[in-house]
Amino acid sequence: MNTSSTTIKDLNARRIDAVKRRLAGESLAKISQSVDLSVPTVVAAIKAFEKNGWGGVPVKKRGRPTRGKALSTAQIDSLRLHWMEQSIVADKALSEANLLTIDRLHNWLCGQELTVSAATTQRYARNWGLAPASPAQRLGSKPGGEVKRYIDQARHNKRRLVWVSAHTLQLNNEPVTLLCAHTARGLCLSVLVQQLHSHTLSEFLSAVTTHLGTALAPVMQLSPALEKSWILPWQTSTGLKALILPPGMESNTLERTLKSTASTMTALKDIKDNDSNLLLAPERLTHLQRLEAESIHIMREVVAEAENPVMMYSVGKDSAVMLHLAVKAFYPAPPPFPLLHVDTTWKFKAMYEFRDSIAKELGFELLVHQNEEGIRQGVSPFTHGSELHTDIMKTQALKQALDKYGFDVAFGGARRDEEKSRAKERVFSFRTSAHRWEPKSQRPELWNLYNAKKRQGESIRVFPISNWTELDIWQYIHQQSIPIVPLYFSGERPVVERDGQLIMVDDDRMPLRDGETPEMKRVRFRTLGCYPLTGAVESNATTLTDIIQEMLLATTSERQGRLIDHDTSASMEKKKQEGYF
Amino acid sequence: MNQPNHDLIASDIDAYLNQHENKSLLRFITCGSVDDGKSTLIGRLLYESKVLFEDQLDAVASDSKKWGTQGKAMDFALLVDGLAAEREQGITIDVAYRFFATDHRKFIVADTPGHEQYTRNMVTGASTCDAAVILCDARQGVLTQTRRHSYLLSLLGIRNVVLAVNKMDLMKYDESVYEDIVEDYQAFAKEIGLNNVTAIPMSALAGDNILVRSDQMPWYHGPTLLSYLETAEVNDEHRKTAPFRMPVQWVNRPNLNFRGFAGTVASGSIKPGDTIRVQPSGKTSSIARIVTHDGDLAEAIPGQSITLTLNDEIDVSRGDVISTTDEPASTADQFETTLVWMHDEPMHSGRPYWLKIGTKTVSATITQIKHEVNVNTLEHTAAKQLELNAIGVCNISTDQPIAFDAFADNQETGSFILIDRVSNHTVGAGMLHFALRRSANIHMQATDVNKERRAELKGQKPAVVWFTGLSGAGKSTVANLVEKKLAAAGHHTYLLDGDNVRHGLNKDLGFTDADRVENIRRIGEVAGLMVDAGMIVLTAFISPFRSERALARSIVGEDEFIEVYVETPLAVAEERDPKGLYKKARRGELKNFTGIDSPYEAPENAEILVDTGTLSAEQAAERVVAEMRKRGLLES
Repeated sequence: MNTSSTTIKDLNARRIDAVKRRLAGESLAKISQSVDLSVPTVVAAIKAFEKNGWGGVPVKKRGRPTRGKALSTAQIDSLRLHWMEQSIVADKALSEANLLTIDRLHNWLCGQELTVSAATTQRYARNWGLAPASPAQRLGSKPGGEVKRYIDQARHNKRRLVWVSAHTLQLNNEPVTLLCAHTARGLCLSVLVQQLHSHTLSEFLSAVTTHLGTALAPVMQLSPALEKSWILPWQTSTGLKALILPPGMESNTLERTLKSTASTMTALKDIKDNDSNLLLAPERLTHLQRLEAESIHIMREVVAEAENPVMMYSVGKDSAVMLHLAVKAFYPAPPPFPLLHVDTTWKFKAMYEFRDSIAKELGFELLVHQNEEGIRQGVSPFTHGSELHTDIMKTQALKQALDKYGFDVAFGGARRDEEKSRAKERVFSFRTSAHRWEPKSQRPELWNLYNAKKRQGESIRVFPISNWTELDIWQYIHQQSIPIVPLYFSGERPVVERDGQLIMVDDDRMPLRDGETPEMKRVRFRTLGCYPLTGAVESNATTLTDIIQEMLLATTSERQGRLIDHDTSASMEKKKQEGYF
Repeated sequence: MNQPNHDLIASDIDAYLNQHENKSLLRFITCGSVDDGKSTLIGRLLYESKVLFEDQLDAVASDSKKWGTQGKAMDFALLVDGLAAEREQGITIDVAYRFFATDHRKFIVADTPGHEQYTRNMVTGASTCDAAVILCDARQGVLTQTRRHSYLLSLLGIRNVVLAVNKMDLMKYDESVYEDIVEDYQAFAKEIGLNNVTAIPMSALAGDNILVRSDQMPWYHGPTLLSYLETAEVNDEHRKTAPFRMPVQWVNRPNLNFRGFAGTVASGSIKPGDTIRVQPSGKTSSIARIVTHDGDLAEAIPGQSITLTLNDEIDVSRGDVISTTDEPASTADQFETTLVWMHDEPMHSGRPYWLKIGTKTVSATITQIKHEVNVNTLEHTAAKQLELNAIGVCNISTDQPIAFDAFADNQETGSFILIDRVSNHTVGAGMLHFALRRSANIHMQATDVNKERRAELKGQKPAVVWFTGLSGAGKSTVANLVEKKLAAAGHHTYLLDGDNVRHGLNKDLGFTDADRVENIRRIGEVAGLMVDAGMIVLTAFISPFRSERALARSIVGEDEFIEVYVETPLAVAEERDPKGLYKKARRGELKNFTGIDSPYEAPENAEILVDTGTLSAEQAAERVVAEMRKRGLLES
């Protein structure tokens, strides 16, 4: 469903339509398609009808009235055209006044009698192609010695690193060039020029120098637009040097380059209070900063007190956040524990690919454990049912792995908002030597003083992201640009509808029932597990913000897509007592 | 999740995210008597802030039919009761954490039980909170449990407290009912030092004064519950003005060029260049960098997890506290504390427990229970032990000095937990008041020339040879002979003799038990200093009490302390009576004389036992020197 254009009125009309169709005997999938609502929403509408009659079906309008009216696409396009036409530099020399900054765009928009926030301005600039992503994100694998030396030297001499790039945009069907300078802190300064001349680059760098008020250390990759010879006038006039990178470096970010360099720069003791490279203290910590700091604190406590810790890795979004936090907690050292993936062998193919690449990229040792006995017995969700499958391939396998490697503390990515029994579990959750959780003898947890003492054979499960909610997780992923499995994003995937859920046919091990034919649908997953047990939702959300938007507008909770929670009431608590994470 | 910002989300998700990624976070606890409606209040908050999904509401609706206590209406309490057992019993038996958010804040709610036996859970829940909501049933007024929970909140130093007078709907929203309860409560609050209490009349069930102002109570002009919670000050912000403290969690040493000290800022702020003191060692340096994965910081504030690097290579390890040099923490090993006992097995004084404060774990003993506090009446009663949920004021002694602040000044560095050494359970929670004796303001000065270096110069192993025994047993005689032999062998020694010391250092002390204890404590300290100076010290004192000899042993150090019991039957000593003291004592001219009218506690495990009834003084001295040689203190 296209949530961004859904009004409450329209939504309610569709919900009522959906219930009528159901009463007429249509299948859920059919209804979902006809009324353009996801299956869970249709189910919710039907439930609401069964409970409260027709009056229960419409959802109420939520929240406060909107502050203003969104602009139409045509209006926005016309704004873009005006802005570009009036700010492009034709044949005269360019100066600081020509730089396109967010402030200037914001002022200009406000001058057009529009009420827009700074954030909206930024979004316009991005959508109009005036604030492209930093090319640093395409920089090469391991920065060579030359790069490192250059960055060291720049830092030492208090020169500001800028990443220079050129982009071609269309203006009235004519190609024009956008020159960009990105700083390491994400500031983008750009200028729009009709044509590139040999003096343009030099003028642009001078303008950026004036704007930033510090000497520059430009880094750029060779392209026809940025000819090496064009940088020479600037180098000669300023006596500074630019770094020209060879083409073909890919996939690492400038940030990472800078950080790996920073870690080896401890010899430089000349950092002063006014060093512009230092991050200023916030007035107060935001909720994400507090959550992050708490998780890091917990991870460090474990590493300091445990003998042999391990991090459970489930490949999902919560695991992704946990991994990111682990990298942060021990920086500049690599995280001092391996990752353990308890593999039921029924995960999505895309999850396996992602798992292997991310572990490699972040420098984690990855351990994979499968229940050999379960595999020999041919345990699968189809033949044994979700409950038994989860018990053998997940719960039992986890115990086997912990025993096999002798891990005494295992990090898990469970959150208290996921499920009622988890709301009461401690951060340090003590397990008997038989891996059982005893909810009635939990150790009290006071202040930030965690008790990690235990006897031989006993173990502790530690949940560093206990206090995060699903929304916190998504916001953090968005804010920190944390990579996640592509399955979270919408895509054309083969699915069948089974028991009211859309199940993806990920491989040929999935037995199709009579009348089931995989159909290609635009679906995504809100939660990831074994593919036969994970319901997809129909969605057009292809970006992170789309996902967050869809989640915020959704009417059913996250675990609804997981079949295992539906098995029995209080099922999660029972599983946990038996040792399921 | 259905946020109230439906339209903003739909029209401009980026603007929404920008706003919502920068909220603050408040943790609060709800407490009060059974059936005051805590769970209903939390359910209401979740419902009002639209964090519930349809499927969750469906589940609650179906649960309400099965277990609900509200007839056909939705029972919000079922949203927050989690464990199957308690759901069936209809009571909350543990702390449950719940989450919701408004446009301005994210909230973490700890829901805690009202039953007396679960006081420990409430203390647990409150320990991490910035604010507390105490519920009070308008029909019942202030109950014993309301008082108990309020006392616990004051004990835990909660700074923002709301008295939620609930179920106003059942009292016809009558202002006088509310006023009476508030007056009653405020008088009590003052008594226990809860000064910042805001009272709000409400009905959680009907939603009055929760999110929106109630039409039913036009006489009330204060904030609604949510508007209060949205503006209450978070502890981290309050701690910003306190002196800088950071307990070191972990030493980060990825390579030879980097040595960082990871921790969470407990209070105050720090900048590169600031001078710091590492406690309890007392070494000083200055901050080189504040390292984080996001980049180096110009300043760190409370709550941030950071890694500090220093400009000097000094010894810092996990458990140390980094403080600013101008306002360092105190260091001590004996404290007065308030202790909350949290385990079925009662607390015994004298038993060693693990004590974890900040990131340091040490061995600790409760030396004295001064009194127990009756949480219902606040009366002080004498106690020999603390039972589960008991609260007592106790003296605690640790086996090594720790850096701390009074809990009233700094909750982060003034709180600790006690852990049972056998079961590993967290058995107690404590708040430090002050250090005993005058050690609070004294900081260990680190010196560059240390004991090993001094001993090396003297070419010997420093030690204390502690002679104990009755007056006239021959301690001074034997000690004197031992010293002569050691000096002849080229050792640097000093003999501390009881009578000589009492002419100078201890001339203010008499012979009561208390003075004898102090006498020996001073000798122990002096001997400790001399050992630190690299000397071999011999002491000849009656030192009649085991505990003080044990104290001296702990000051000096187990490996360097040799206890010599000069054993002589009382009759033999009295027969010798070299100074004529026994005769005086027998005549009653000398009070508190050991062996006559003051006890002598013979050593149970002395390293050396010499019986001067059968050995000559010379033989006894030989025996002592031989034993020292055997223990590797002298070269053979």
